[in-house]
Amino acid sequence: MTIPLLVTVALSQTVLVSRIDLWGGRPDVMLLVVLVWSMVRGMNEGLVWGLIGGLIMDLISGGPLGATTLALLVVAFMAGEPWGLGVGAPVIRLLILTFICVITYHLVLLAVLGWTGYAVDWGWALLRVAAPSALLNAVLAPFVQRPLDWLERRTRQERFVL
Amino acid sequence: MRESPRRSWRPLVLIVLGLLLLVFSEAGYLAPAENALHYVLDPLQRIFSRVAAVFGDLFQTVREVRELRTRVEELQAQVDALTVENVRLREYEAEVRQLKGMLNFMSEYPLSAPLGAEVVTREACDVFPCGEVVGVETNPYLRYVTINVGAQQGVEIGMPVVSGGAAMVGRVAQVGPRTAKVQMLIDTESAVAALLQTSRVTGLVVGQQDGTLSMEYIPQEETISVGDIVLTSGLGGFMPKGLVIGQVTEVQQMDYALFQSAVVRPAVDFSRLELVLVITGFEQIPVDESESEEPVSEEP
Repeated sequence: MTIPLLVTVALSQTVLVSRIDLWGGRPDVMLLVVLVWSMVRGMNEGLVWGLIGGLIMDLISGGPLGATTLALLVVAFMAGEPWGLGVGAPVIRLLILTFICVITYHLVLLAVLGWTGYAVDWGWALLRVAAPSALLNAVLAPFVQRPLDWLERRTRQERFVL
Repeated sequence: MRESPRRSWRPLVLIVLGLLLLVFSEAGYLAPAENALHYVLDPLQRIFSRVAAVFGDLFQTVREVRELRTRVEELQAQVDALTVENVRLREYEAEVRQLKGMLNFMSEYPLSAPLGAEVVTREACDVFPCGEVVGVETNPYLRYVTINVGAQQGVEIGMPVVSGGAAMVGRVAQVGPRTAKVQMLIDTESAVAALLQTSRVTGLVVGQQDGTLSMEYIPQEETISVGDIVLTSGLGGFMPKGLVIGQVTEVQQMDYALFQSAVVRPAVDFSRLELVLVITGFEQIPVDESESEEPVSEEP
């Protein structure tokens, strides 16, 4: 189930979603899926989704293989940690965590690109791409959480209590 | 239910794995695995793109009618201006013919078209492989597109890619069996030798992170005008000469700098790229110097 789902998400991203540009920000469906799954299912599964999803995205991308993988792994790690649990409404935690994770994702991407020799304008990238993307994806996160919550309930292993 | 928050080594192991992936990929060890995975992924991408295109067309029609109406008005104005210019050029042409005749100049006439001038008509697609854009780069800091022609259609890494009107799109960066990734001109790693059509001044056109182009290393003493057409110069042997890159919109000159630069508006609207043509018939001139020749033995 995991691989077909993530392949579908990746192909949606490259065929449809990456063409959307709102004031420099782009929705990142794969990032949201990995982040939310890590929140609802735990870090371990989130990391696996980050690894597989990142690999697929890297194969589709023209950039260095491993860049997106590394960035998604970091996101999965951050989202899987129980920071801020119980403080405020869950949706607020989701919005804040999404914002922070998207910024971190872009920082990792930029660091990898810089390390592999690409010219990186940090100021422009963070102000004109990362920040708008973080806002946009934070708004979209609740819409991704609903179907993944449903999927989590459907795929959760049943516990039989005698 | 979420797992108990017990510390494990998995996050660290996976992050190290991600780093190793990056290192081995940069070293080139993972190319066979990548190629094998492309055999699986590429057909899926093509199918997905086709399905998405069907649905996309349905929603696009209304918006396109409005845009087309505006575009028709713009084009009509351009046609009127070009008609006037055409008349003027014909006058010059006649004058040149007359002067050549007076000088007994025996060169051939008319002028040959630049390479690729007839590209991306359906007839041109019979000569060179035409590819539809089936995917857009997912990394927000890179500028690549995926097209649905690949090694099976004769596409190779480094081949130039153009759009309508011999406008340069970029060059092939990666090739799969039936798809290829094209590094667009506006990618920050793209650099193309160029020249200005009117003054023939040469420079280097590089992509900027904001999606524009900059022509750099233009000597300070040269005059650049806003509106100048920028073409590929062919220097270095990587690209054919005469492909349209764009038009100068701003000149950036500082007295203390060795060179001046110009902001170039691309001739191609990269956000609306649909059909491109890969110039497979251009033979790149290898720029690596030949290995040092054996010294000629001198006769005693």
